[in-house]
Amino acid sequence: MIEFKGVNKWFGKLHVLAEINLFIPKGEVLVICGPSGSGKSTLIRCINKLEPIQEGEIIVNEMSVHKPSTNLTKLRGEVGFVFQQFHLYPNMTVLQNIMLAPIHVKKIAKADAEKIAREKLERVGLSEKAAAYPIQLSGGQQQRVAIARNLAMSPEIMLFDEPTSALDPEMIGEVLDVMVGLASEGITMCVVTHEMGFAKKVAHRVLFMDEGKIIETGKPGAFFDNPKTDRAADFISKILTH
Amino acid sequence: MMAFYLSRLVEIFPFFLKGLWMTTKIAFISLIICTLIGFVLGVIRASNNVWLKRIVGVYVAFARGTPFVVQIFIVFFVFPEWGIQLEAFPAALLAMAIMGSAFVCEIVAGGINSIPKGQWEASASSGLTKIQQLRLVIIPQSMKVIIPPLVGQYVLLIKDTSVVSVIGVTELTRVGWITVVRIPEGLMVFALVGVLYFSISYPLILLSNYLERRMTV
Ligand SMILES: Nc1ncnc2c1ncn2[C@@H]1O[C@H](COP(=O)(O)OP(=O)(O)OP(=O)(O)O)[C@@H](O)[C@H]1O
Ligand SMILES: [Mg+2]
Repeated sequence: MIEFKGVNKWFGKLHVLAEINLFIPKGEVLVICGPSGSGKSTLIRCINKLEPIQEGEIIVNEMSVHKPSTNLTKLRGEVGFVFQQFHLYPNMTVLQNIMLAPIHVKKIAKADAEKIAREKLERVGLSEKAAAYPIQLSGGQQQRVAIARNLAMSPEIMLFDEPTSALDPEMIGEVLDVMVGLASEGITMCVVTHEMGFAKKVAHRVLFMDEGKIIETGKPGAFFDNPKTDRAADFISKILTH
Repeated sequence: MMAFYLSRLVEIFPFFLKGLWMTTKIAFISLIICTLIGFVLGVIRASNNVWLKRIVGVYVAFARGTPFVVQIFIVFFVFPEWGIQLEAFPAALLAMAIMGSAFVCEIVAGGINSIPKGQWEASASSGLTKIQQLRLVIIPQSMKVIIPPLVGQYVLLIKDTSVVSVIGVTELTRVGWITVVRIPEGLMVFALVGVLYFSISYPLILLSNYLERRMTV
């Protein structure tokens, strides 16, 4: 469960999040889209406190994210984050990448952590890559390892920031397939993406942002076929012709 | 005459070895202290803590921007006025620590800053604390960037120990001075001093070259 209550954020003079009010119930798959610079990344980066906010409150599973007394380790243990650029640790093998947080955050014994890591690796279809280094993997494989690395912490919530934007077209499918699998399992997901096919297939709701504001939300079918606002219509026509 | 001096030099060679031992001791101890303090300062310098960063910045600027011999004089002659009275040996170590840690600090900060922000963000997102992020993810990756110049810095540290002779520590350079008074063959005496310095710095130079080659591939 994620809730934004009157959230405002500025980067200097830029009002990057303007009076955001949003409720994301447990198990929802939310797709966030909007033009470049509209604040999509910033919005989800606030959820696990990669970014501070100046006004308002964000609540994740009863925890007030930006309150100094909040246990950040606990919060982040419950929230996974998948980056556009994967950000695997280049000096560690795939297995070590996945085991790091379970061992050092959850204090799981090494042997158990390895078992979990291998499980998650199998889940994303990369069992045979356990001993490989990130640089030896394709982009799509790296992103799947990044997802496995998050899954090893058994998060209740997963945040995705354009997980397929840095990938060659032929690799987008393999990553989306993994995400579709997750969506069917009841993990709460916030996905910044312009993949309309993915949105239509698994999203419960689409949120359209522009200039730091939530302009429109709706069911994916309704949103993409009959947007309520001109701005959304304009945006959709652009990604369609793109 | 030359032959006579040479045999005298051989006679007092143990004195040179004592000087070499003192030089090695100062270099080695200060190298460890510099590394420890330098890493801590480097981490602070690469952090987001504006005030601590500034304080370390001033310290580093002072330590790098003034001659080492002046720093030694300050430690040995000025510190006592502030109630910090040190023997020549610990004073030498302290001065070396101040100077060397500033250089190590810059090398470490440079290494940490060379790691992309995404590595911090990925490890933070997974729940690691700041210290764990540094220890488990950032520092191991930055070692590649840190180690070659660090070893190079060690070589400079060894050579800089010669400056501590000015406060009367009987290390290798001072042994040379003392000897040359009795054996007025400057070239011969200081050639020997040079060779002895070289004997401890050369292995490090080789190591530095080797690491440089290995770490850049
Ligand atoms: N750390 C920062 N400091 C200053 N400005 C920033 C920072 N991060 C983002 N911005 C600005 O805030 C605005 C929103 O950025 P954000 O990355 O959230 O947009 P986005 O919707 O994710 O865009 P994109 O589709 O290009 O990823 C942009 O104008 C960006 O330049
Ligand atoms: Mg973005």
